[in-house]
Amino acid sequence: MDNIGLKSGDVTLVEILDRVLDKGVIIAGDIVISVADVDLIYLGLKVLLSSVETMEHLRGAPFPSPMQEAT
Amino acid sequence: MAEKQLVYLYCVTEEEPNLREVGCLADNLHSVHHKGLYGVAGDVEDSEFGEESLKRNLVDLQWVGAKATAHEKVIEGIMEDTCVIPFKFGTLFNTNDGLKAMLEVYGDEFKTILAELKNKQEWGVKIYCDIQRLKSGIADRQPEILEVENEIKSSSVGKAYFLKKKKAELIEQAVNGKINQYGRESFTLLKDLSSAARINRLLPKEVTEREDDMILNSAFLVGNDSVHDFVSLANSLKTQYEDVGFSVDCTGPWPPYNFCGLPKARGRNG
Repeated sequence: MDNIGLKSGDVTLVEILDRVLDKGVIIAGDIVISVADVDLIYLGLKVLLSSVETMEHLRGAPFPSPMQEAT
Repeated sequence: MAEKQLVYLYCVTEEEPNLREVGCLADNLHSVHHKGLYGVAGDVEDSEFGEESLKRNLVDLQWVGAKATAHEKVIEGIMEDTCVIPFKFGTLFNTNDGLKAMLEVYGDEFKTILAELKNKQEWGVKIYCDIQRLKSGIADRQPEILEVENEIKSSSVGKAYFLKKKKAELIEQAVNGKINQYGRESFTLLKDLSSAARINRLLPKEVTEREDDMILNSAFLVGNDSVHDFVSLANSLKTQYEDVGFSVDCTGPWPPYNFCGLPKARGRNG
């Protein structure tokens, strides 16, 4: 039970990045910047996108999503 | 000549935000009031967040980590007192007037979203699987697989080769089946206790830096009254299957990043 229900103050950086960089309201302010392209950041983390595809494949058919994925 | 400043928007609230507790986390943290909404914003340097600088800084994990954490902390602080609409990292305006103009355009939609978010919390559930462990458990137990195993022992070399292939396929199928079943069941049970639920893309090991594989990345909007039940359920899911190799990570409450609508809106520029 040790890891459950942690306040987000104690969570990993990945948990924070997964939300702050990828979710939240997206509106172009006065300055249209490239943060919309979050893959840029994942490339910064040396992430191979192909490994995501591998997992999707391994997992089989995706779960039926009640709502479309937030982008 | 003074450094050019930009206005960085963290979140929008309907009640006046209490900035005292989080003021130290951002430069000149202030709120911009317009038509019954408050935009919580801070000042940032153009040399750090301007378009060209940002492109350069976004590949620097140290920089991104520090700024994203500060972004999160500011919003969490505001969220302690009132309902928030969290904005994505790096929502920037030239001036407070630019921010006001945005509130003018989207004000009514923000008010609708805030009304829906009232008395609810976002929780995140990520499930991981130690696939090797799951595999070994399956190979030992499934009668179909044990049968092939026995057949292999009494077969010629040539036949054994094909039977081994068959066995590997059966294990693979069983593993996929278990992962889907467990992920689906967990998600459905958690969703039943929530007002809304989302499935997000899986993060690869290079990002999670874990030994096991992520099999579910989900977010839930949970009514304050249901939070206790939701966390209890997550706890029981965690203990229920940990022996076979599944691991459940439940975190919250988060700012409602996954449930604040307007996902496709691109603003006046877009």
